Amino acid sequence: MTNDFMLLFPVILVSLGAIGLMLAATSRCVQIEQAAWACGGLFGFAFLVQLAATLTGDQALYSSLFNDILVVSPFSKAASLVILGCGLFTVCSSLSYFKKNNFSSTEYYSLLLFAASGMLLLTMTRELISTFIALEIMSLAIYILVGYDRDNVLSTEAVMKYLILGAFAGAFLTMGSAFVYGAAGSTKFALIGNFVATTGFLSNPAILAGSFFILVAFLFKAAAFPFHAWVLDVYDGASMPITGFMATALKTAIFAVFANFLLADSGLQQGWVTFLFYIAILSMFMGNFIAIGQNSLKRMLAASGIVHSGYLLIGLVALGSQPVPGSVVAFYLAAYAAGTLGIFSALSYLSGKGEQWKNFDDFKGLAKTKPYTAFAISIFLLSMAGIPPTAGFMGKLYIILAAIQTGQITLAVLGIVSSIVAMWYYLRLIVTMYFHAPERSFAEECPSRIGTVSTLVLVLCVFAISLYPIAL
Amino acid sequence: MFAHLLSVMIFLPIVAGLILLFAPLSRTTARIVGFGVSLAVLVLSIDVYAGFTATGKLEFVEYIPWIPSLGIAYHLGIDGISLFILMASAVLLPMVYVLFGTREKGYYANLLLVEGAMIGAVCAADLVLFYVFWEVMLLPVFFMLGLYGGPRKIPATLKITLYTIAGSLLMLAALAYLAVQYHALTGEWSFSIEKMGLLDLSGHAAALALFGFMIAFAIKIPLFPFHTWLPDAYTEAPTATTFVLSAIMAKIGVYGVIRVVMPAFEMEFARYALFFAYAGVIGMMYCGLTAIAQKDYKRLLAFSSASHMGIIAVGVFSMNVQALTGTIYQIVAHATSTGVLFLFAGILEERTRTRSINDLGGIASQAPIFALFFAIAMLASVGLPGTSGFIGEFLIILGALKFNVAIGVLTGLSLIIGVCYMLWLFQRVFFEKSKTASERFKDLSPVESLAFVPVILLILVMGIYPHPFLRKIEPSTAQYFAAATPVVAQATTVTPALAADLTTEKN
Repeated sequence: MTNDFMLLFPVILVSLGAIGLMLAATSRCVQIEQAAWACGGLFGFAFLVQLAATLTGDQALYSSLFNDILVVSPFSKAASLVILGCGLFTVCSSLSYFKKNNFSSTEYYSLLLFAASGMLLLTMTRELISTFIALEIMSLAIYILVGYDRDNVLSTEAVMKYLILGAFAGAFLTMGSAFVYGAAGSTKFALIGNFVATTGFLSNPAILAGSFFILVAFLFKAAAFPFHAWVLDVYDGASMPITGFMATALKTAIFAVFANFLLADSGLQQGWVTFLFYIAILSMFMGNFIAIGQNSLKRMLAASGIVHSGYLLIGLVALGSQPVPGSVVAFYLAAYAAGTLGIFSALSYLSGKGEQWKNFDDFKGLAKTKPYTAFAISIFLLSMAGIPPTAGFMGKLYIILAAIQTGQITLAVLGIVSSIVAMWYYLRLIVTMYFHAPERSFAEECPSRIGTVSTLVLVLCVFAISLYPIAL
Repeated sequence: MFAHLLSVMIFLPIVAGLILLFAPLSRTTARIVGFGVSLAVLVLSIDVYAGFTATGKLEFVEYIPWIPSLGIAYHLGIDGISLFILMASAVLLPMVYVLFGTREKGYYANLLLVEGAMIGAVCAADLVLFYVFWEVMLLPVFFMLGLYGGPRKIPATLKITLYTIAGSLLMLAALAYLAVQYHALTGEWSFSIEKMGLLDLSGHAAALALFGFMIAFAIKIPLFPFHTWLPDAYTEAPTATTFVLSAIMAKIGVYGVIRVVMPAFEMEFARYALFFAYAGVIGMMYCGLTAIAQKDYKRLLAFSSASHMGIIAVGVFSMNVQALTGTIYQIVAHATSTGVLFLFAGILEERTRTRSINDLGGIASQAPIFALFFAIAMLASVGLPGTSGFIGEFLIILGALKFNVAIGVLTGLSLIIGVCYMLWLFQRVFFEKSKTASERFKDLSPVESLAFVPVILLILVMGIYPHPFLRKIEPSTAQYFAAATPVVAQATTVTPALAADLTTEKN
């Protein structure tokens, strides 16, 4: 039992911190800045604890907790490292963002911790009920964070859309779980997998319908085609740091539980592989075509998030070929998170009061006045586009290797074609920043030191992740 | 002589370039630092050249595992093929710093970055490492073209960047395919270029992968019909960028074909070689004819460069020792002649402020030294006996005739087109009546002349006494055709009847 708690330590730390911070927020003597530092410190500490646990290796003996409901695997450890890192950098970018905007309060940071604790649970869960609970812990906190700027119309619209559609997705998940439980008699992934292996995937309509509903819920949260329509408005309405948090940590958590679900039920994975194949292709191309048409940087990044979901789905289709399960997906998530967080961290201090500068044209000539920031943004964009020697390139290489190894050559080729299309909108921002004359002075934003430092650290992360070897 | 010579040659310019980019230095300091670093690389490269023993194998090998579980390694080494491209870039780059003094700091920094990346690409003995340098090489070009280019620079920049990246991404898929095939056959992960030579892939997917590689390299060379980015980019780019693109980067495309495609896809390559060779010949003729019609001398040189890359491509696709040796020789000859012509064009543009041929005339009487040097480089570019161009082109045509008579004859014929536009250009710009733009054309200063002297000497020496150079090249090229049947052959689908069809010629 003590070992169970040792492995759960990061989650416990983060959720206790969330409750503590929420209680502390009632007191007048806690300043917002103090709460932010406490929150960042908690993320940092939990990150170090998790890192230590990851580096000391996997003790297979104690890796399943609470009667196999939660399982700690190398994959879940890697995913929770990514989530904790995302949390830390989100706190940093929030600090610089709220220098210009003043709708923050102490509870904001408590909610970040709540969302993160839900995500951490999601990476470990191997059971449908706890999946639902973790998903809702995460989602409820995120709903509030999306609508935190109560006076902003866009933000209110975003939370409305996200809440209603998200509630639908939650309902789909419970419905699916009920069907699956009705057929398999268990909500544990492993036992469902055994049931499918013995009776076959197509023979039982309840399994078919149930797993379909569960997939729908996951695909909705991951913003994959055809459940991608909410992403643009929600990302646009949420504040910069929260958009960054949603685009990275939330996606990591969802893909972690998605991969765990498919890994434990290889029968289900086989059954749905064709479906996922088409979803991956359509997500990539739909996202690309939406992104090309955007004038707002934030909406472009939202659309590119759909494309990256498509790549991650390639990783899920090719799950079978990875000796260390999910390593390719985890690596891609880390690489994508570093790039995306970096951009949002830079935008947090560049977008100014009320996010008045978030279109492509607002960044004309940025390289002339802020060469270092422009350079950092270019690195992040190149990483998202998959140009070496950045992390995004290695992520893409691993995904393509895995796809070819499972014989999905079509998928690999289409993934490549999609990244050629994607070059257009990533390059567009670099061209705007470097090759156009400045139209405004950029003098209004005095970047806070914490913002620039965290951006710099993320640039280093982009290179460090690419050099880090993984076990494929 | 010390260990890690190649690493130093790669990372010294890259690190110096990055420092220049970020440090607040004046443009003169940047120029001096750039010149110093490129000279240091030149000295190191001479050390490499002297120490190179021409065994036909990789020399100066460095090997550090990077991602052991996938067999990806930091693996460097050079043989007789890469040596000459390495030498070309090390010898030619310092000239740029001497000749162009009025540029911005970023310009000099990017030149250093591109030098390091190009050396990295030719030294890489691991596919992933090669790909990394291959892509990094493009980024400085992107910024130099977009920041310091001519009036229509942004469309030109986007065109070259999207074109090249599209090609490279296809190559990424193809190289992943190679690695997976190697894993499937031997049970071991590896990205080593040497080991890929053990593969002999054939079949449908292999043909696709072959075309993935070929499109990437064809765009970089550029081979007909992937040349459409070239006139815009070459014309709009600042002189040094055009020079780098034409003199060295295009050659790395050819190098990629020789190093990666030929060994790994022996059978498929042989099947499509005739097709590629025709693409080379058509490109030669098409670009040559287009060059005749140009009114802008930089654009004319751009088409001429593309046309001459066609003959180099024919040399690769002819698949015999003579043609391949000629190709390597011609790579250096082309870099020192056509590449250097772009430098002359840059000087011409700086001093006359025009790119139109009609505005110029009678420069020979104003600037005899300039005219003499230009003439030597131009004659080398058209392959006059006694210059370096002759040896390379002769060997290539010899090999092409052996491969396919029609290809050989057409290659020989299209050289005549080259003579036409070059001599006509020379006549209009250097002779005839002096025009206002060229009336007060200043001749090369002693320093500038001194910068050109080594290259001009190299052109003449390589043309008159090619033996020492050929001796370094031949063991490596012979290696390609002397190799026995691949060690790891796939269950081959080649029937004897089909094998007879294939025009592979060993030796």
